[in-house]
Amino acid sequence: MRILFAGDEHPYSAYALKKVIELAWHTWADVTLLSVCPTQPSSRDPLPEALHRYREEFMEALGGPDSPYAQERWEYEWMALRNGSWEEVQVRRGIKKELRVRLRVGNADTEILSEAVRDGSDLIILGCSGGGGSCMWDSAASTAPQKVVGNAACSVLLIKEDRPVKRILACMDQTTASQESLEMINQLLTIHGAQLELVGLTKDGGARPEAYTQLIRIGDYFGDKGIPVSTRLAEQSKFESVLSTHTGDDLLALWMGKKSLLTLLFPRDWVEKFVSACPSSVLVLR
Amino acid sequence: MTSDQKTTVLILDDEPIVCKRLKPALEKSGYEVESFTRSREAMHRLTERQFDIAITDLKMDGMDGMAFLTEVKKRYPETEVIVITGFATMETAKESYQKGVFDFVAKPFKLGEILEVVKKAEAKRRSA
Repeated sequence: MRILFAGDEHPYSAYALKKVIELAWHTWADVTLLSVCPTQPSSRDPLPEALHRYREEFMEALGGPDSPYAQERWEYEWMALRNGSWEEVQVRRGIKKELRVRLRVGNADTEILSEAVRDGSDLIILGCSGGGGSCMWDSAASTAPQKVVGNAACSVLLIKEDRPVKRILACMDQTTASQESLEMINQLLTIHGAQLELVGLTKDGGARPEAYTQLIRIGDYFGDKGIPVSTRLAEQSKFESVLSTHTGDDLLALWMGKKSLLTLLFPRDWVEKFVSACPSSVLVLR
Repeated sequence: MTSDQKTTVLILDDEPIVCKRLKPALEKSGYEVESFTRSREAMHRLTERQFDIAITDLKMDGMDGMAFLTEVKKRYPETEVIVITGFATMETAKESYQKGVFDFVAKPFKLGEILEVVKKAEAKRRSA
């Protein structure tokens, strides 16, 4: 698994980093910590400083001698310099797994999405200011988190608060859930010891066979793996009231694949508005 | 193992979709691959021949991946074993390493990631 953490210097990013550390602790994922500066950073810019602090925190938690991230492997690597030339420098890498720290310059959401593609990320994790319709990055009132959720090709975990996850409330429709998204749910259930509730969304009159079949298929997938799962169907028109039943200990998961009913029914900015309004953390699955 | 021989890879995962994804990707990269969805069949095959690299899931019906890893390393210590799992925990990761696993990869992963790991395992086998 490859995890991309995108953060700024504010407290919600520190919460998100804690989640990254927790996931990395169990999965031994390759991790990239990324910040994006709007202009070339100066030595006093808070973002490089924050990234440095995040790296230290990560290594303090996971850099022990028996850790896969323990930096004991010295290698020579070519690094691009600003003037177009290259320099071969000696770098220290993790024994088995990588922790990379990167700084990009430009528009935050564009650069995060671009890094995710370049890195082959399976999951982007980022924090944002809490619910109530904000979900922003404080720096320049940036809507980067919403844009990343709306446009990423991989799954995105948006952390709004530092709370344990006791239940994953996963909303799905009749379209096929990707293998990667099922595996992502598996990992999060295992790590949190959480319960799983699947909500099958239907439209125009109750249990359409496709939605029902898909709900059973996915329910069986988890059931066969020994994961207790409860299922229910809900009218798409009542989707928002379904969401209102979840609590702060829930992680709300939404399947938003290319052919997802949710994607078809709701415009992209609805997704962005929804994740903003949602009071708890949100996992968007792709 | 000589340089003109194809590197042999055994895949064991009880989810057919994983084998279906991995096998052609590895074959396309020049590996000789056999895949199994049942650990008993994979174990039987190991009594017939050695593989350079074994990729195994952890949580399976019958013999689980950890027992499979133990058996492979006992029978062929030089075979590099890569564990892939959808239920990763620190304990299983550590136990895998104690048993001599080459790498531990949590699902989901992109094909590129597993190919990179297989290449590293192959390099280690060839340099041995």
